[in-house]
Amino acid sequence: MRLHPLTVVYRIGRRAVNLGWGVVVGFAGAASIPFVDRRLIVVALALALLVLVGYEVARYRRFTYALAGTTLELRSGVLSRREREIPIERVQNVDVSRTIGQRVLGLATVRVETAGGGDTEAVLECVSAAAAEDLQTELRRLKRAAADADEVTEGSDGVRAGGTAGSTGDVVGGAMDDASEVIFDLGHRRLLLASALSFDVRLLSVVFVAQPVVQPLLAPLVGDLAGVTTVVALLVALLTAVGLWLASAARTFARYYAFRLVRAGDDLRYERGLGRRYTGTIPLEKLQTLAVEETALERAFGYASLSVVTAGSVGSNTTGGSAAAVPLATRADVFSLARDLEPFADVAMERPPTRARERYAIRYALGVGGLLALTAAVDALFTPVPYAWAPALLLVLAPVAAHLQWRNVGVALTDDHAVVRRGFWTRRTRVLPHDRVQTAAVSATLFQRRRDLASVAIDTAGGDAVAPDYDAARAREIRDRVVERAWAAVGARRDADDSH
Amino acid sequence: MERLHTRVLAQWSAGALVTAAVVAVVAGAIAFVDPFSLALPPLVVTGAVFGVVFVLGVAYAGLRYRSWRYEVRTNTLYIERGVLTRVETIVPYVRVQHVDSQRGPLERLLGLGTVVVYTAGSRGADVSIPGLAAERATTLQERLRDLAIESEPTDAV
Repeated sequence: MRLHPLTVVYRIGRRAVNLGWGVVVGFAGAASIPFVDRRLIVVALALALLVLVGYEVARYRRFTYALAGTTLELRSGVLSRREREIPIERVQNVDVSRTIGQRVLGLATVRVETAGGGDTEAVLECVSAAAAEDLQTELRRLKRAAADADEVTEGSDGVRAGGTAGSTGDVVGGAMDDASEVIFDLGHRRLLLASALSFDVRLLSVVFVAQPVVQPLLAPLVGDLAGVTTVVALLVALLTAVGLWLASAARTFARYYAFRLVRAGDDLRYERGLGRRYTGTIPLEKLQTLAVEETALERAFGYASLSVVTAGSVGSNTTGGSAAAVPLATRADVFSLARDLEPFADVAMERPPTRARERYAIRYALGVGGLLALTAAVDALFTPVPYAWAPALLLVLAPVAAHLQWRNVGVALTDDHAVVRRGFWTRRTRVLPHDRVQTAAVSATLFQRRRDLASVAIDTAGGDAVAPDYDAARAREIRDRVVERAWAAVGARRDADDSH
Repeated sequence: MERLHTRVLAQWSAGALVTAAVVAVVAGAIAFVDPFSLALPPLVVTGAVFGVVFVLGVAYAGLRYRSWRYEVRTNTLYIERGVLTRVETIVPYVRVQHVDSQRGPLERLLGLGTVVVYTAGSRGADVSIPGLAAERATTLQERLRDLAIESEPTDAV
């Protein structure tokens, strides 16, 4: 199959826009040089355009793709040729994105990702919007057929079985797509709220950090009245904070505009974006962990966000492809949605022993002590610091901070999942299915051992979760149980597969 | 529970020797330039720093050796190590992707080997057991490989 012919127009247009400014500058620059005929410049530009058009047409003619049974085949390249085959079974994600220009021309870019490597394995730029959707559906159907074939027969027969399963799966696949249900629609109200709440409270500290820096800069402008400069400096800092807030709100707004999550069979599809539309498919069978995140601000209003992590999304930018997120919903909605995707039982979280809280308090107090020593040293050795003793006031906050940190730590083991929670500014609750666990470890630093505490780290292919500062014996118990369950879960799946 | 071969102490001590030499040379150079006008004899500084760092390094190697334990269990590989932060890791064989054995020049000289076990995990994706006698490294690699194949997972990821 070929790309859409308008691809040529779109790509030339995009290059023209990108290079347009350079051309204008070059033109003006060249025209200002004497002895250079303007007609010559026009000819040069026309030639460049011709080369560009020629290249894009050649690229279009060279680029073919085909879905052949169990593989996606790509042939491309003008000067150096490339042929690539991607086994459909290995496909993790199929993303469709549409820029404004593409929407005008009715085009879309399709990106196909597998778990290997950081780069996207296949980029189809551009196909018609309808073809993009068809491709997404078709890839999903073939993938399912391939997976079914694997379960029925193993080895070389699987290929043929895949073919037949594919032809019967057509009807099933179609029916399943019709049965796709919207499980989450962000809506305008929640979008605005999500944008407003996207602000990180910690950014407010910018105001206080910036204020003493800005003040001396303003002093010569405003005059010597100390009171006035302070007020103006605070105002500038406040405006900066508001600006930052608006910027982050605008970013969130554009990113999650018209966000929708659709469940079609075993796949999760999402659509989002204002300028550039993204749609993606996440195969739920590849789900590694679920993460519910609540910032301090969101917690205060009873909201939370959800992300679904699949293998291959670690390290890469999780906002892009492999991790889908519900940007904002009420806590209850987020948890019921999470349970929809990965049914985990609701059990009470177990907190670390209170001696962990003492440890945090001492740690914060030591931090304050360090700060105090620093200001005192600067005061004594270099330059007088006003209120050098002021950091000591932070000591009052140490127990509070320790308590808040301790309060937000939790761990729970259910029959099929481990749930790990931590963090105050952003509280992350990670749900790890037992059959996704790769390794589990208990670690204890020197300071933890003094208090007979230890942390449990549970690792999956989609990131790890650490439950900090539990009683050492309890930490080992948690780790052993997780591994035991992982073993049992994988074994159970194997037995089920054997009995086919 | 198995321990590492005692020859690993020689390997790690050699590492300490190199570290001590580098740190000593840097300290000596600083004493020679003398930015704080302390007027310390550079050679004495070099010798003293070398001695202290080397002794600390050897002591650390000893503690590290004492902290190392591993066990090939029925369904899992158990590893315990760490001086300041003690880590006890369990790797189920079903999760093993592949097993490597590595031998650096010094290890070859000492007749030692390192076995590295890879999983599909994100942070502890590779777990290595250093300081194994050469033949133990080979048998351990083969044993782990066999156990990984035996427990053949349906979906490694």
